[in-house]
Amino acid sequence: MSARGLALDGVSLRLGSFALRDLRLEIGTGEVLVLLGANGAGKSVCLETIAGFHRPDAGRILIGGRDVTAEPPERRRVGLLLQSFALFPHLSAAENVAVGFRGRNHREARRAAEALLARFGAEHLARRRPQLLSPGEKQRIALARALASRPELFLFDEPFSALDMETRDALRDELAEFLRRSQIPAIFVTHDHTDALVLADQVAIMERGGIVQSGRAAEVFARPAATGIARFLGVENLLDGRLEQAPDGRLRFAVGGAALEVAPLPASAARAGRPAIACIRAGEVRLGRHRAAPPDAGASHLEGRILSQRSLGPLCTVTLDCGFRLVACLMARDARELGLAPGAVVAAQIPSDAVHILPGEALG
Amino acid sequence: MAGILSDAAVQEASEVAPEAPPPVAGLAPPPALGVLLVAWLFAGLLLAFILLPLLQLVATPSLASLRRAAGDTDIASALGLSLIGAALAALLSATIGVPLAYLLARTRFPGRATVAAIADLPLCVPHTVAGIALLMVFGRRGLVGRPAEALFGLQFWGSLAGVVVAMAFVAVPYMVNAARIGFEAVDPRLEKVARTLGMGPWEVLLRITLPLAAHGIATGFALTFARAISEFGAVVILAYYPMTAPVRIYELFLRFGLDDAVAAAVLLLALSLALFVLFRHFVQRVAPMPGIGR
Repeated sequence: MSARGLALDGVSLRLGSFALRDLRLEIGTGEVLVLLGANGAGKSVCLETIAGFHRPDAGRILIGGRDVTAEPPERRRVGLLLQSFALFPHLSAAENVAVGFRGRNHREARRAAEALLARFGAEHLARRRPQLLSPGEKQRIALARALASRPELFLFDEPFSALDMETRDALRDELAEFLRRSQIPAIFVTHDHTDALVLADQVAIMERGGIVQSGRAAEVFARPAATGIARFLGVENLLDGRLEQAPDGRLRFAVGGAALEVAPLPASAARAGRPAIACIRAGEVRLGRHRAAPPDAGASHLEGRILSQRSLGPLCTVTLDCGFRLVACLMARDARELGLAPGAVVAAQIPSDAVHILPGEALG
Repeated sequence: MAGILSDAAVQEASEVAPEAPPPVAGLAPPPALGVLLVAWLFAGLLLAFILLPLLQLVATPSLASLRRAAGDTDIASALGLSLIGAALAALLSATIGVPLAYLLARTRFPGRATVAAIADLPLCVPHTVAGIALLMVFGRRGLVGRPAEALFGLQFWGSLAGVVVAMAFVAVPYMVNAARIGFEAVDPRLEKVARTLGMGPWEVLLRITLPLAAHGIATGFALTFARAISEFGAVVILAYYPMTAPVRIYELFLRFGLDDAVAAAVLLLALSLALFVLFRHFVQRVAPMPGIGR
């Protein structure tokens, strides 16, 4: 168990008909864990349990190496940032921050708060009431307030969910920079994948009160552990097929008359004849006018007829019929240069390591 | 029954809520001319219905008769007693009403709706009925009255204590409802954040919850006071003596007729209005609605 950061050691909790089931997590110093999940998956309850608002029925919670399972929230040293940042509306910005400086007299706390605000470039906001602050200013005050209480862990519960996309992007970048510099570990609860992609070192995915997958962010996004997770993460291509042994002895994934090259599978999964699901992110599929190279083990080369295409501003998604339905995503400029149009036949190339196999699964 | 205060209060609550959507009224198209005319016609009737009797009352007594009434020690002491009684009744209501308001706003327990309904009950009990019921419990042989007199020498029948009890009984629902709305408007997330910043539960209550609910509590205090100072029916039965102002006015009316009662009535009206304005001012200054920036 890490000496710093956070560790959840088999935390379980029953709350009416809802339950947290055997949560196990470890976050090191300076690491950001993004907790993803649909509404009602238990992300917020998990966060509240770590903050000390629910007492687990079983398991231990360690913050900075201390066992805080039995401690009330005020002794856990966590900085909590909630939707819209929850600044105290009856206090000025500086007074909000001063609340974080506990155990000092009023004047000292006030002076410390103003010094901290200056570090956030917000000294001019000291006397302002929260309702007169912009979202960006609120975030800075809320971070300063949390930092004032010298937290050993930050907990974010969808702080951006009430904001428009532009503001959200700006605040997310600012927060990522802040977390990188503060080196305080953090859990960030969201159902926005972008939050995970920008902020996360680790990602954990919750479903019905349990963590169904966790790991490095890139790894989880590239290799979801089950079709449900793949769907939740927005994997564009979930192909229903089976593993087949080719004459040369290699395994391939057979779907709709095509055979896709796959990266070598672990021995337990590599059984020919088994039904399986292949996950392929649309961004991994490369389109060209002609089949580029002779077949090799590094990539599959297919041809497909364009069924439809959709512009997403800078990006463009194209749906092909390759004997199965394949969605590819490319830059708008590349799509234009290829002269893509419905009905046209194009070549598609799928790197074998982009084909993530879920053996023994079938689409419901 | 929770509907007493509702419109203004609900709007207040929505103003307190962070990032509340704009009030629907702002988006509604302006009403048509015909609708406006009819609405104003009835509104005019309503305003006349309220103002006409009061203005007529104020215009009736001569300055000399007002001066005489103000100098009358009986009337002056009745006004003083009304003031003190209403203030004590409002304090008593706040003491016993605010904790219940907190429970109703912040917790779910079996029978919660029933408890809320009981707290509203005095609103629909006719006041003379309330007075008789109170007399049976707080009177000399009552369940509370007898031990209170035996143990503390405290007598309710015909005493200031009786005045306060009668006033508090009819006025306490206003305290509970206004304070409850005040507590409901406090975002629980603020209390959670305060805990993580190092405050214990009592400190959160004192430094976050109560200050943010202060507007509702102060409003409740003002309404309770106003309701208490105007109470007649329950007071007259439990404590005819010492006479509060409404009882005094009633007695003047019965014994000497309208002319003598009018001057005292104007004085009580002036006192009530002055206090009402003062309280409104106080509520806005000392306990402004959070969310309305300074």
